[in-house]
This record gives sequence, C-alpha cells and structure tokens, in this order.
Amino acid sequence: MNTTRLAGHSLRMMGRYKLRSSFMMLGSMLGVAALTLVISVGQAAQRKMLKTVGQMFGDSSVMIFDGGGRMMGGPRRPGTRLKVEDIEAIAKEVPGVDAWDPMQALSGASVRRGAVTDSARVLGQSERFEQVWGRTASRGQFFDITAVTGSARVAVIGETVANELFKNEDPLGADIEIGSVPFRVIGILEPWGTDPHGMDRDNEVVVPISTLMHRLTNVDTISAAKLVVRDPAHADQMTEEIKRILRERHALAAGQPDDFSILTATQVQQMVVEVRRVMFLYLPLVAAVILVVGGIVSAGLMLASVNQRVAEIGLRRAVGARAEDIRLQFLLETTGTTLAGGIAGIVLGYFGAELGASRMHLGSITPWLAALMGIVASTVVGLASGLLPALRAARPSPAEALR
Amino acid sequence: MAMIELQGISKTYTRPTGETVQALADVSFQIERGEFVAIVGSSGSGKSTLMNILGLLDLPSHGRYLLDGQDVAALAVNDQARLRNKKVGFVFQTFHLLPRTSALENVELPLLYSDRTSIKGLGRKALESVSLADRIHYRPSELSGGQQQRVAIARALVNEPDLLLADEPTGNLDRRSALEVMSIFQALNRAGRTIVLVTHDRDIANHCHRIARIEQGSIVADEQVADPKRALQEAI
Repeated sequence: MNTTRLAGHSLRMMGRYKLRSSFMMLGSMLGVAALTLVISVGQAAQRKMLKTVGQMFGDSSVMIFDGGGRMMGGPRRPGTRLKVEDIEAIAKEVPGVDAWDPMQALSGASVRRGAVTDSARVLGQSERFEQVWGRTASRGQFFDITAVTGSARVAVIGETVANELFKNEDPLGADIEIGSVPFRVIGILEPWGTDPHGMDRDNEVVVPISTLMHRLTNVDTISAAKLVVRDPAHADQMTEEIKRILRERHALAAGQPDDFSILTATQVQQMVVEVRRVMFLYLPLVAAVILVVGGIVSAGLMLASVNQRVAEIGLRRAVGARAEDIRLQFLLETTGTTLAGGIAGIVLGYFGAELGASRMHLGSITPWLAALMGIVASTVVGLASGLLPALRAARPSPAEALR
Repeated sequence: MAMIELQGISKTYTRPTGETVQALADVSFQIERGEFVAIVGSSGSGKSTLMNILGLLDLPSHGRYLLDGQDVAALAVNDQARLRNKKVGFVFQTFHLLPRTSALENVELPLLYSDRTSIKGLGRKALESVSLADRIHYRPSELSGGQQQRVAIARALVNEPDLLLADEPTGNLDRRSALEVMSIFQALNRAGRTIVLVTHDRDIANHCHRIARIEQGSIVADEQVADPKRALQEAI
C-alpha cells in the first residue's frame, strides 16, 4: 500500500462530496478566522499599547485627573475642581516630585489660517511640557516661562495641523487664529502618531496654559496634570499623600467620593496585564469554542458519511484495503477538509485583522504566529473529529460491509 | 494441486434475534486452475456465503480452505487483505462503483492498495480490455448498466488476479448486456483465467463449463457442461 497514493485519493474523495466538505470546512474556517483575527489584532494592539503607554506615561509618572470614578470602565464624573494651585501644593508638600505639568484641553477647536480651517485639539501646557512629557519641538522652539506668565499668544503646532494649514509653506513665524484669537506659530511638534483611542496626536496645537484659560476657554480649572517622580517604587505611598492633600483642599467630607483620580505606573501595568489577559486568553477561548463546535459538526457529518458509504467501505476491503487503510482514509478526509477550512480561515482572519488594525490605527499585522496556530488548531480538530468516524468505518468485516 | 480446495466447510451465523443459521454445512469442493464454474441455487441457499469464503471476505466456522495450497485461516487479517488484492477479482450484482468518480479512477481502486511501484497505464489497459477505452472519464451515472458492469470487470482485472469471483453479475442487466458480460467472461476464461460465478439463472449458468448446485448449504449436484453456450454468437 502506498500512503501518498491513498492520501491523494482521499483528498479527491473529499472534493466529490462538496456540500458535506463545505459544511465541515465552514466550522474550522470560522474558528481559525476568529483565532487568527484575535491573535494578530491582539499582538498588534499590545505592541501599540506598550508603545503608547511608554510614550504617554513612562515608568516614573503619576497622573492626576479632574473628576472621580475609575480610570477604565464605569462612567467618570466630570469634575470642575482641580486647579493649578492644587498641583503646586502637591509638588511642594509631597517629597519626591521632580517636575510637573498641568494640562487643559479644548477639543475640536477651529484653527484657521486665511481661508483654510482645520479642526484640532488645543492643549494648554506649562513651559515644562517638553521635560515632563518627553515631546519636544522638532523645528522652531517651545515657549518658555515668560510666555506662560505673560499669557503670550504663541503656538507649537503638530505635523497634521501644519500640513492642513500650510501645505508646502513654512509655518514658522506665521500667524494662525484659534477661534478668533490670533497666535504666532513658533514651533512644530515632534510627530507622535495615533493613540489607542484612534486619535491623531499630531492634529494638536500646544499653547501656554494661561493663554488657553484666559483667552480661549475662560475656565480656571485644569483637566489633568502629570507628575514626574524621583522613585517609582514610592508611587503608591505618594498616591495616598496626594489623595489626602486634594481631599483637604477640596474640603471633601469623610463619606464623599473623590472628585479626582490618580493613575500610577503600577496601575497602568496592571491595566496592561488585564488587557493582555483579555486578548490572549478570553478572546482565543471564544475562537476555541467555535473550533470545538466546528469539530463536533465535522464528526457528525463524517459519521453520517461513514454510514452512507458502508458499501464503498466493503468494496475497498474486498479489493484489498486493510482496516488501517480505511481508518487512514477517513482520518485524512476529515483532517484534509478541516485543514483546508483552516487555511481559508487564516486568509479570512488575516484580511479581517488588516482591516481592523487599519481602522484602529494599530500599525502592521504579523500573521505568522496566528497562521501557525490556525494550522495546528485545524489539524487537531480534524484528527479529533475524524477519529470516531474512522474507527467506525473500519469496524465491520468485509462481508458485513458488503451485505 | 487444486487452486481452490474446500474441506468440510461449515458456516453458522447468529442473527441479532439470537437464533443461529447454518448457511453452509460440510461443503467439500475443488476447483482447478483455468476452470469456469457456475454455482447455482435459489436465494438463501448459501451461495453468497460460499462466495464470501472463496473471496476471503469471510472465514468458515469449521473446515479448511486451501487457496493454492495455503490454509487461509492461518493467515493474519492483513495478509488476507493482501491476498484479496493480488489473487482475487470481484464482480458484484450491484456493480459497487464509487459514485461521482470516473470509470478510470474506479478501475484503479485496487491499485491504491497494491504494493506495485508503478501503476501507470494499468487502469486504461483494463478498460480497453472490456472495450470501454472511449469512456474512461465517464462517471457511473453517465454509463448504461452493461457498461457499468464492464467497468466493474475492468476493476476486477486491473491487478491481474488468478481468480475472478462474480456474484450474480448479470442479475441487474438486460438480456443483451448480460450476454456481453458472459462473452467477456468466456474470453477471459479462454485466456486462462479461473472464474467462479454465482447465479440463480440456469441459462446464464449454461455458459460455464461446470455447474455446481447448492441447496440449504450443501452441494447437491456438480456436473460438467457438455457444450457451453457461446454468448458472443447469441449476442450477435
């Protein structure tokens, strides 16, 4: 007996029962597509997330946000209490704060130059923005302390804004209007890319926070502040201190919830672990359930096929097939079908992942791990679901099968 | 030495209901190489059981079956399968062709389980020998009953077995196709092939050279046919 000959023959047989094979392929195709999708997107999302977290957060930061509630999940109560003075007090009273930068943001502001208008996010920051956030001006310069104290109308614009408003011209030294207030462009922000929410962080304009408060938003509270701490190991202890100071300054009674939130590097890492667990445990589990269901469907269809093909099995035995040849044939038919479905699923999942990744700005997809897992998974499903039908097919004696 | 030697063969079955059925009772019988034997009997007489035992599809409950001097009961099941593949060709009443599969691939089926290293051209040659060279890519559903049975004969011949076993090969065919099939058998026998044919049709049996009658599991008559009918002339 020639195994290659039998393998080729089994694959041709599988092609003769197109409807049955299609249903068997469907199960493994959907399962593997789901697996490929979540693994590839998960990998890309994780890579993106780690990069972004590094960019935004570093490992020695504490963020304070206006408004209470939890950082992830659950609605956050909008706060209107956090002020620059609060952060100043924290920096003074809590030891170990190296630097800090308050922030106020104005989303969807219209930025205009002549007849061209762009909608951008305007950030009010202090002169310590570069030091605290690690993002500098790639051309021109950042504003200094005198611009902040004097509420100067100067702006550092992102690449996207620069391209929208200036095309090929040089923006440095040019005048733009934010709302109806004129500003002078003094620098171009280092490119950043998109953040996990899909926001283009180059479609931003940074102005002195005092200017934003006095001339644009007319609000004296800030939305957040970032603190750079000397020793990240003490961040938890510092959090307690910060909490105490803020509750005292905001005159919160014992039963009242916080009207601010604090985020430390440790918490961010916990969130990363949580997200990773979802992406690499729970989502693949869903894919595995689809695969198991597909496997059960395959086993059922193959069992029905064995019953239907008893005479064929008898004939094969009569012309010289051994019991193991029959077993091998049905195992190959099942595995070949689910594997073909799996390969189709990898292709489907890959294109799905590409689409998803480009929608979510996750960057490029590396499908190799997912493809390997898909091939292994669909082979295993085929072997598992083909085993019982194969044993059943080889059980009757030749005379019984031919009767 | 006889090609086939049955010594006191019995076969009993147990029905699902528990009752036992004696299909063959103490059958002793010899077939020489090159013979063309018809086994006739009514349905339930045990002729199909006898055929299954001759073709190594089933083993006797008692007695010995020597094929070319070899006691087949002593063989491992895989060796029995190899012997079926090499030495025996089967033709069935219902053809047993794989549906949705070309005539050529049906004919090549036994080669799948053979240990031959080269099988190229054998299937085509076998189809040519039953005058179906122009139908090799037809599927069974596109062939007449007679043509389907000829494909089945080509399949039985493809491995060049010594023994051809035919179980009611003309049972599903019209008169003319039946005669075509019988003329092929007669030609094969003239070329030296040993053929055993089971039938309940006395007229078909008269094309063979020897007729053994089986009743209730025992051979009750065994005689040579003085002047076998010539199927080819009848068909013309």
